[in-house]
Amino acid sequence: MRQGIAVFLLCAAPGIEVAVADQDSTAGQDKDLDLIPKEAQRQQPSANAQDAAPRAIQGASRLYLENALSVSSLHSELAVAAPAPPPYNWQERLFFDVRKEWRLTSRLGLTYSGRLNFRDENDLSFPTHENVINDLREAYLEWQPWDRTYLDVGRVNLKSGVALGYNPTDFFRTRAVVEPLSADPTVLREDRLGTLMVRTQQLWEGGSLTAAWAPGLYKPSPIYTNLNLPSADPMLERTNARNRFLAKGSVNIASNFSPEFLLYREGSQTRVGANLAEGLGQKVVAYLEWAGGRRASLIDDALHYGRETGTLPAEAPSVVPESPRKSFQNELSVGASYTTENRITFNLEYHLNQAGFTHSDWINWFAVGRGRSAATPVARELWYLRGYALDQQDPISRHSIFLRADWSDAFVPKLELTGFVNTDVYDGSSLLQLTADYYLSDTWTVGGLITTNVGAAHSDFGSLPQAANFLFKVARYF
Amino acid sequence: MTRTYLLAALACLLIVSRTAGAQTATDIVAATDKVRNPQEPFRSTITLTEYVSGRERGHDTLVVFSKQDPATGQFRNLVQYVEPARDAGKRVLLDGRSLWFYDPASKTSVRISPQQRLIGQAAIGDVLTVNLVADYNATLLGTEKVTDATRTDRQCWHLDLKASSDRAAYNRVEYWVEQDTFYPIKGKLYSDSGRLLKIVYFRNFAKRLGAVRPAEEIIIDAVDTSLATTATFGDESYQDVPDVWFQRDYLPRLQLK
Repeated sequence: MRQGIAVFLLCAAPGIEVAVADQDSTAGQDKDLDLIPKEAQRQQPSANAQDAAPRAIQGASRLYLENALSVSSLHSELAVAAPAPPPYNWQERLFFDVRKEWRLTSRLGLTYSGRLNFRDENDLSFPTHENVINDLREAYLEWQPWDRTYLDVGRVNLKSGVALGYNPTDFFRTRAVVEPLSADPTVLREDRLGTLMVRTQQLWEGGSLTAAWAPGLYKPSPIYTNLNLPSADPMLERTNARNRFLAKGSVNIASNFSPEFLLYREGSQTRVGANLAEGLGQKVVAYLEWAGGRRASLIDDALHYGRETGTLPAEAPSVVPESPRKSFQNELSVGASYTTENRITFNLEYHLNQAGFTHSDWINWFAVGRGRSAATPVARELWYLRGYALDQQDPISRHSIFLRADWSDAFVPKLELTGFVNTDVYDGSSLLQLTADYYLSDTWTVGGLITTNVGAAHSDFGSLPQAANFLFKVARYF
Repeated sequence: MTRTYLLAALACLLIVSRTAGAQTATDIVAATDKVRNPQEPFRSTITLTEYVSGRERGHDTLVVFSKQDPATGQFRNLVQYVEPARDAGKRVLLDGRSLWFYDPASKTSVRISPQQRLIGQAAIGDVLTVNLVADYNATLLGTEKVTDATRTDRQCWHLDLKASSDRAAYNRVEYWVEQDTFYPIKGKLYSDSGRLLKIVYFRNFAKRLGAVRPAEEIIIDAVDTSLATTATFGDESYQDVPDVWFQRDYLPRLQLK
């Protein structure tokens, strides 16, 4: 405000100001010049490659080698005993991550994205094929038959959504995440399997239209555990077990507002969705992501899938109340980001998964599981519900709150701190994670993260077997 | 009566003087925008070198496609990170208030706020093609002799720029422009709260895309003065940049040929 008043006073009497300032006034200038680093005082070689043709730059590819050592601690007693296998106590993972694009002609390109993992854990034999796992994320041809028209064929990671913590419109997320090293939803999107599909996209100045068709080529497979992942199999049955179709379009209604609308069909179910994002002033972006359609509850979906894939006996009765009746279910992620002058960005979101557990579902889950041995069918079924929600990348609870902070150049330059907390509204239990990445140089990064489940024994996150996880990593980029 | 006429004449003179001053300031800013920015759509490569406590610490390389929007007079920018390797392929769309960040690792586009343009030591908001005259109201504060980054004295106009549009990256800019040549020499960038955030020096004037323009900027972090960045502009060429590029859904399709 004082600054504003000072400027106002200067503007109010320009003639006087000019008269005063017309003198040579170099005072204070040298002080600023002294801030220029000595190494930067030498002018760079002249950049006047005047009108020269740009260098050929392969800018979209990324290759890196990372070593990650994880150590976990487990809850000593669980409200509902969890069946085997338990989470690992330690895991050592070395992986080579590749994202590469080749231009075959001016209108034809090839994209490959994958991760080759070498891993060992306290619960894995060594050597065994489980020590080597290749994640084929993407492999597709991109053809541009005409300007602004694109056709992609192959395994494609098609993602949608404007929210950070939960993306209801990201319909191809289900069953796609493989062995994540972080619980951060923004990282979970990075190592997930694409879907075999044909996708076409048309762009014009007023918006875009995308259509994708993914054929159902395989029978649905049981949910994988940490101990039965295939080494080289691309696991297409995870992503192509049903016919799926997506159409989405965005329209530039105003210069800074372009909502996106989606229509999705999987098997016999249809869902619609929308993505809206709008800047509010200099520091805030508000966004809303919604999807809705007739579907069963999470419990019914999970039990149906477990019986279909043979994980649960076909005649097994439901141990928690199930209602096969389908109804219109909403999924919503609404929130805002706020960026401070100190380079911290906060995202606060409310998540609704109407098909998820209600308060009474949680009461039933704990009541039915109390005192059961981990080996009983009842305990297996109860934990299957939770594993299914995780595999589908759906929040298990109906209501949750998500807060994330990202701080660039925190305390010292090149240190990035990220933290998030995901809280179940019913019981206040939370998943917390704090990540630190330090960019040692342009090619080396070291970092670590702590993940912890906080809450009472009879709560969503407090009832999970894993209490905390610590990870240390070093990465070399090429 | 004579005194009344004198007062009225003086008042008119002040009004005329102030109006003429404001126009002059705007003209100066417009002229120096033309020195900094080509008028046709173009592509350039920007190399950012970061210094921490006087020592070179890291590099970023960006390829930027810029095109003036005739409706606003402001440039639209599409940016791709080329280096460092961990950021390769990340893209940013800056089109007025429509700002999107695309990460090829997650294959998602996230809307960002104007403030997020300024995150990072080498904030892209500082090096993009911007017509200051489109987003700021300028006032001429006077003339001063300013020592430039090469320790050469320059006779400059001293201008005060206040944000007039919510597209503006900074709330206020102090700007020194060399008289006669309209070369930008120095700038001071302020936050909404009036805090001095950055000091910018322009240097290495060379012929680029048909005119003599600064080929290098030195950006000093005024909050943590141990941090500085140089931005060097190169590999420039005029290039057709279709309007269809400036939307979120084009970000994954951008190809650097």
